[in-house]
Amino acid sequence: METFFQQLINGLTYGSLLGFIALGYTMVYGILKLINFAHGDMVTLAAFLAITIVPFVAMMGTVGTILTIAAVVAIACFVAVLLEKIAYKPLRAAPRLSLIVSALGAGMVIKNAIMLIWGANPRIFPSDIFPAGLAKISSVSISYLSIIILLLNIFVMVALFLFINKTRIGIAIKALSIDYSTAELMGVNVNHTVMVVFLIGGGVGALGGMLIGASYVTVPFDMGFDYGLKAFIAAILGGIGSIPGAMFGGMLLGLTHTFCSGYISSTWANAFTYLLLIIMLIFRPNGLFGQKLVQKV
Amino acid sequence: MKKFVLIMTALVLFCACERKASNEFIVGVQAPITGKYASEGQGMSNAVKLLAKQQNDAGGLNGATVKVITCDDEGTPQKASICAKKLVNDGAKVVIGSYTSTATEASQAIYANANVIQTSDATAASLTKNNYKTYFRASFNDDIEGEFTANYFVNYKKYQRIAVISDYSSFAAGLAEAAVKNIKILGGNVVYDGKIDAGAQDFKAVLTSIKALNPDVIYFSGYYTESGLLRTQQMQLDIKADYVGGNATDNPDFIKIAGEKNAIGSFLIGLPLPEQLDYPEARKFNADYLTEFKTPVPSIWVVINADGLRVVFEAMKQVKSNDTIKAIEYIKGTMKDFPGLTGPITIQANGERVGSIYQVNVIGSDLKYQPVYNDAMANKQ
Repeated sequence: METFFQQLINGLTYGSLLGFIALGYTMVYGILKLINFAHGDMVTLAAFLAITIVPFVAMMGTVGTILTIAAVVAIACFVAVLLEKIAYKPLRAAPRLSLIVSALGAGMVIKNAIMLIWGANPRIFPSDIFPAGLAKISSVSISYLSIIILLLNIFVMVALFLFINKTRIGIAIKALSIDYSTAELMGVNVNHTVMVVFLIGGGVGALGGMLIGASYVTVPFDMGFDYGLKAFIAAILGGIGSIPGAMFGGMLLGLTHTFCSGYISSTWANAFTYLLLIIMLIFRPNGLFGQKLVQKV
Repeated sequence: MKKFVLIMTALVLFCACERKASNEFIVGVQAPITGKYASEGQGMSNAVKLLAKQQNDAGGLNGATVKVITCDDEGTPQKASICAKKLVNDGAKVVIGSYTSTATEASQAIYANANVIQTSDATAASLTKNNYKTYFRASFNDDIEGEFTANYFVNYKKYQRIAVISDYSSFAAGLAEAAVKNIKILGGNVVYDGKIDAGAQDFKAVLTSIKALNPDVIYFSGYYTESGLLRTQQMQLDIKADYVGGNATDNPDFIKIAGEKNAIGSFLIGLPLPEQLDYPEARKFNADYLTEFKTPVPSIWVVINADGLRVVFEAMKQVKSNDTIKAIEYIKGTMKDFPGLTGPITIQANGERVGSIYQVNVIGSDLKYQPVYNDAMANKQ
């Protein structure tokens, strides 16, 4: 039983990390119907930024941690908005396929830029930014970092849920995702709203990138692909376009992955993950929280 | 048309002249210069450049200037065969590499067909099974390490419950298989024998299953990146078992990845550290490397690769020719107890080195390796 609870915690932590990234995919898709393939590489960029910034603020303790997170999130938000302005905005009227190609290209540019700036060798993520150590409940142990990840995950989900449903700009995002052209006709400022969406996606993704770095210590320049793909699947599982869906999709994926690794075989874990996706797509094509889309002609 | 023929003739002549004029002996390095094992690959390349420079300073190799060409195989079999073809085309006579067994295995046939001598630090037992005439190694194969490991676990430490983890690389899988086989022969109890996905980062699920089995020891036969993560996650899950890494864990980055606090108390089975080698040749090599590259020799693997090249140079000096076939015949037939950086080297007809220099180190609270067990102690028992 302890093993079960331990696996549960392992899975939830891993799933939360995926959830942070999935959020970026889902929000952008919700509005632009675009799969932002550059998002995974943005997440990697955040981890590398943190690696660079930490040595300068390490001596400041908690203040240093907050400074690092603030700086990395700010830069990541800026890059995300820049990405939108350069790679996506000029193509907004173009067919979806052009946008996807543009996204793939942007991802490659970011990935290679990371490789050229920081080198092709995996970098070690500094251990002094998040608290080390672990809490124990009978023989189930949970590291402080896992607790931070889980709490942050819940916090971000609730905050975003409130933001989308209670603020003007949030309602604008919702309106755009329900019916883009009608919302535009009703006076929703599209450029402004899309920028906010990229800002949030980039910021939350950056948070995920830093937490992944802290959890797994080694940060390879090409890790964006693997995490990006898994998070993308999480977004689909949860119902692409839905914010709680991204978070719960991440959890579901993390739990499947962990329980398969633990109870069946770690090499079958990926196969089971994709099997889950296929089953989900057969029985619930719109994912856990996805709304049924009615195609109006 | 006339012009074209003229240009072509000029080109052909030019090429021919260049080939003839340059009396060069080309040494290829096929190593992971980038990627996970970059520090090893760069060390290999540096060591070969250093030996080539020293050889040239001493008048070259049988009158030829030694030139080094490096190809980055990223430790993967796909890139390895591309590198092998490239180095053969570039005219390499000897190739040092690669670091991983998988990449070495993928390139062996290409070098053997081109009569290029290949030597590497790779340890998978399968590498000498095909009897490639041009391949030999200054390292010791996994079966020997497996035997050593089993003996340490069962007879010396008297572990009752042993968990063995490996990955799917031919090196790690081969080593784990040899260890498990020998543990069973000695009557030891293996409670877990499984594999992880190298390149993944989260191994907590597997470790949690292992925790439920209450092992005395967790043994991992793979490389240092995964090993460091396994050790951290073992501590995060509070699994009270000794952690023992196989010889590919033996890398300074293991401590960085595991974190200093977690690394302390880990056991590493492997070959001595470069600075633990107590031979005059080794001390000189370490010192020269430090002067040349301003950084110490990164690992014993680099020294073993250097030894491979030193053996080839020695053979060519002895046979007074840069002919690869004559040299390899000398290496595998005549050479006996050549004073290597890692001790006396004798190569058997199948390309395997005679003997073993394995030892167990524990990482002390000062993060230094402390030897706790070696073959001499095993023989005394």
